[in-house]
Amino acid sequence: MAGFSFSLAALHQNQPSFCLIPSSLSEFNGVRLCNSVQYKRKALHPKGALHVTASSAKKILIMGGTRFIGVFLSRILVKEGHQVTLFTRGKTPVTQQLPGESDEDYADFSSKILHLKGDRKDFDFVRSSLSAEGFDVVYDINGRAADEVEPILDALPKLEQYIYCSSAGVYLKSDVLPHFEIDAVDPKSRHKGKLETETLLDSKGVNWTSLRPVYIYGPLNYNPVEEWFFHRLKSGRPIPIPGSGLQITQLGHVKDLAKAFVQVLGNEKARRQVFNISGEKYVTFDGLARACAKAAGFPEPELVHYNPKDFDFGKKKSFPFRDQHYFASIDKAKSLLGWKPEFDLVGGLADSYNLDFGRGTFREDADFSVDDMILA
Amino acid sequence: MATLVSSCCPFSCSTPSTPRPSPRFPLSSLPRVFSSSRSSFLFTYSARISLVHPLMSRSNPRSYPSVKASGENKKVLILNTNSGGHAVIGFYFAKELLGRGHEVTIMTVGDEKSDKMKKPPFNRFSEIVNGGGRTVWGDPTEVGKAVEEAAFDVVLENNGKDLETVRPVVDWAKSCGVKQFLYISSAGIYKPTDEPPHVEGDMVKVDASHIGAEEYIAKIFNSWAIFRPQYMIGSGNNKDCEEWFFDRIVRERPVPIPGSGMQLTNISHVRDLSSMLTLAVENPTAAIGNIFNCVSDRAVTLNGMAKLCAQAAGRPVNLLHYDPKAVGVDAKKAFPFRAMHFYAEPRAAKDILGWRCSTNLAEDLKERFEEYVKIGRDTKPMQFEIDDKIIETVNVPLAV
Repeated sequence: MAGFSFSLAALHQNQPSFCLIPSSLSEFNGVRLCNSVQYKRKALHPKGALHVTASSAKKILIMGGTRFIGVFLSRILVKEGHQVTLFTRGKTPVTQQLPGESDEDYADFSSKILHLKGDRKDFDFVRSSLSAEGFDVVYDINGRAADEVEPILDALPKLEQYIYCSSAGVYLKSDVLPHFEIDAVDPKSRHKGKLETETLLDSKGVNWTSLRPVYIYGPLNYNPVEEWFFHRLKSGRPIPIPGSGLQITQLGHVKDLAKAFVQVLGNEKARRQVFNISGEKYVTFDGLARACAKAAGFPEPELVHYNPKDFDFGKKKSFPFRDQHYFASIDKAKSLLGWKPEFDLVGGLADSYNLDFGRGTFREDADFSVDDMILA
Repeated sequence: MATLVSSCCPFSCSTPSTPRPSPRFPLSSLPRVFSSSRSSFLFTYSARISLVHPLMSRSNPRSYPSVKASGENKKVLILNTNSGGHAVIGFYFAKELLGRGHEVTIMTVGDEKSDKMKKPPFNRFSEIVNGGGRTVWGDPTEVGKAVEEAAFDVVLENNGKDLETVRPVVDWAKSCGVKQFLYISSAGIYKPTDEPPHVEGDMVKVDASHIGAEEYIAKIFNSWAIFRPQYMIGSGNNKDCEEWFFDRIVRERPVPIPGSGMQLTNISHVRDLSSMLTLAVENPTAAIGNIFNCVSDRAVTLNGMAKLCAQAAGRPVNLLHYDPKAVGVDAKKAFPFRAMHFYAEPRAAKDILGWRCSTNLAEDLKERFEEYVKIGRDTKPMQFEIDDKIIETVNVPLAV
């Protein structure tokens, strides 16, 4: 038997290696840092059963799709040959050229993407417009309440799959972590609309799939997650962190989330299933501040810890994350779907920085008024 | 002998001569059954299992508990430590292997007559003997003598923490044709990280004594597997774990917790560690050349552990947070766990061995509390010197 043994010496000093992999979404042109394989896998996931066969082109409706997740998702779907329609009010331009996206790719995408202009809260319009068009698959990226789903299901009795963007925020807070898909959910959470939507979908006969991201990050993020850190790092300000800074959270790159959305399309393993989707590793608050600095090429920041109870910030948000442990296991998606995140944290933050904040673009202006209260 | 195929991805080398057992898909989500009856936990998580993978087929030939994957009985030697938190691992593992038809010898380091043998799990070694196992005592430098030159297929080294202690065992095993060498290392060797959890392949502390042992084993043996555990609960434990909390809860004493209590740790039922080791023995080609974090798949906060113990005991709990440095106590003596995040996940075992976790602290601690009361420890007179010192000086402001 030609077996082998190999030295653990190198194993023990297994630094993540920096591989420049051409992005499968080549139009985005980010440099991805990949981790070397964590451990020896004896076999790759079997092909076929776990991989989506994108052989049959679908007529796909995306509720939303012009702001963040859908921007990336729609591009992949169009590229795979599906006919994709975005249902939006039209407040945001239907298409925008992305940083790093070539003119050709953008032109191709713009020429193929379709738009259905309307307000999803206008249930009669939703019913009539959707039933007139007929769609095979719906991606519901911006749904917040269960009543928004009914008219869609009514209009599309032959719907093959309803794919929903839920949230790990539905999980009941726990001392025992990570959250698994089987865990108790919190009917009183801020995300109860998502939970009610999942429950409604499950009660109908439709084939549904629900993805629960944790914190999403990446270029074009409209939730100031990494942006919050980048503003402070750029200004050379200390970073105020509530409590010990040991709270553990989790970030998932939007492009990995988009891939997960694609991977559940037409996938029998995803039939009526919930999946947590986020990064491989979790991160402490302190660690995230350091990771943002590293990704963007700033020196290690000064971290200032404070007790939030000592202050009254009014309605202003003092920190972009819930002040608690909050992270979820992505084991189920990895083993059932064969999906896994491509971006590690520093690499993903670098992608976000290089394509967004680092180019001078951001969603919210810097506001250090809360910081000044803390640092005073 | 020791070569890396690629410096970029040391683990992506294929080994054509080691075929995968099929199916590789982790469908083995059925509950494990052990020779000791545990009907309550079967009920508890059989429901959970069906929710986890409702559509997953159960036609996996490795369905537990009846069928062994390899079908062959192995002759296994467990070299067991005579004290400390890891002692109980050998005890469970021996009984599990025996229950599955393997031949087991457990060699405990030291003297059969020593006082250490009056403590659990050693004072219950009759259970191993009654299960058909052999118990011997001796010195790791003379394993052959202790086992009277018996031959083994598999050795589990559950004693040494450094190269010096482990080397003679490895050398002996190699010299007499042992095929598979398993080693209990420690998840404590991982380097602290900003990005938990500790995952197999993550950097380890360069000065950790276990590394020398790990490297030597990998150098000498082809079929090796290394297991890195954290903390464990289970009947027969040699070192206090949940008992530390029960002691205080039943006596209505505050439970002093260093820092904020938000720190995460990993506490597994030892049966999960044992089932992982058993999978490695019965699927050597899958296990070969791998490191496995030998832990449950859930972390718990220190506060959470205290609360779960209190729930299991059906009593209230009073958490008292303090800064060990400010109070001036030795953190190691004051509290049974590390006061920082110490959190590894068993990803390799799930992915490569198809291992599934069964630890359910809320349920398991109830059983542990029942035993705690049964042996009369709840009424045993105890001193709490360090606790008292902490309580006295608790007005010191918290540094965390």
